[in-house]
Amino acid sequence: MDLILKNWVYIASGLGMTLKIALVTLLCSTLISAVLGVLATVRNRFVRGVIYLYTELFRAIPLIVNVFFIYFALPLFGVQLPPFLAVSLGLTLWGSANGIEIVRGGILSVAEHQWRSAWALGLRPWEIYWFVIVPQSMRAIVPSYTGLVTLLIQATSLGALVGVSEFLKTAQIVIERTTIMQGTNPAFVVYGVVLLVYFVICSVFTWLSRYLERRLNSDRVRPVTSTESIAS
Amino acid sequence: MSFDPNYLYAQWPALLNGLGMTVLVSVIALIASVVIGIIGAACRVLRIPVLSQLVVGYVELIRNTPILVQLFFIFYGLPSIGVQFSLFWSGVVCLSVWAGAYQVENIRGGLSTVEHGMREAAISLRLSTRQYLRLVALPIAFRSSLPALVNTSVSMLKNSSYLQAIGLAELTYVAVDRIATDFRALEMFAAIGVIYVSLVVLLSLAAQRLEHRLHRPFRT
Repeated sequence: MDLILKNWVYIASGLGMTLKIALVTLLCSTLISAVLGVLATVRNRFVRGVIYLYTELFRAIPLIVNVFFIYFALPLFGVQLPPFLAVSLGLTLWGSANGIEIVRGGILSVAEHQWRSAWALGLRPWEIYWFVIVPQSMRAIVPSYTGLVTLLIQATSLGALVGVSEFLKTAQIVIERTTIMQGTNPAFVVYGVVLLVYFVICSVFTWLSRYLERRLNSDRVRPVTSTESIAS
Repeated sequence: MSFDPNYLYAQWPALLNGLGMTVLVSVIALIASVVIGIIGAACRVLRIPVLSQLVVGYVELIRNTPILVQLFFIFYGLPSIGVQFSLFWSGVVCLSVWAGAYQVENIRGGLSTVEHGMREAAISLRLSTRQYLRLVALPIAFRSSLPALVNTSVSMLKNSSYLQAIGLAELTYVAVDRIATDFRALEMFAAIGVIYVSLVVLLSLAAQRLEHRLHRPFRT
């Protein structure tokens, strides 16, 4: 514990970098997911096909391979990204591939007659989306999307492997320094603390997700699922 | 930089070794994670006092922390309190523990689809709780949780690539290692990209066939 207190400024800088990657990634992938997720429900086969290929490819290839490709292979094409951008881009591509699927599923979960009634009322397409479809699809989107958010926050730790001095990397450096200077190995404690910090950050989102879910469903009588009746 | 198929041909044995390691680690971890999942789900459904809460804590902890940190904790952290695994077993333990947490929830979800009448029928047939779980609930639950089990298994297969971070010679490690010496990144990434996608597709196809077979008694 003493060790953490002594190095807290350094570790905090790593945590700041982690949050920075997370923020950039979340903003970009949310934007892409929203736009392409809606586009994935249009009638045009070509548009749908291209988006399908994109999501399937990035969901099938391990995230770490994806990030390594951007960091190690893109330079061959003359695009040398600094580690921070490489990680952010890799996570954004992966996050939006998953996000598109979530948004698409959410929109498709809205009952067909909602479209027809909105159309019959003479609403314009954007009005249908904005006032009818989006609010209702949120019920399906929010729980999965907050899950994706926590996964993206966790995945920022990949930065350590390409040399971004984010949270995990700073923790590793603190361990190395201590081992060299004092001859003790604090790996257990330091990694324990790192786990705990990630746990707290991600738990906040899990709680937020449950709260939002309850609010979105507050107008419905929530069916008591058998999971809850068997075990709480 | 041009694509050189001859290079890939020359490196084929190395990649095959990596692929073997990836498959081996994944298969062992898959079996272990399903076992963890069944035990954990049973603890929760039967509401065994202390164990049930421990399982909840375990699931929450694993799901809310990065697998990479879990891996480093197991490989570098645990030895300082006297728990040491070899490189290979660290990888297996990490993947099993990670996937196990998700499998607990998957199997618990599957168990929740078993109707309550089944339990009553089992009680009236004087089956013990253990017999009920083994003979009635788990077989039914397995069917309905199979898609979720496969999803988690696919994620685990992909996550085996994290093991390169501790130096386990699996597929990604082999590729990155070769790139560091030969600088032929394009060929290597193309190769492992194709291999990972094929593995995922193969696993999904196998799961589909299994699902089809398991539903045979219910088709008319």
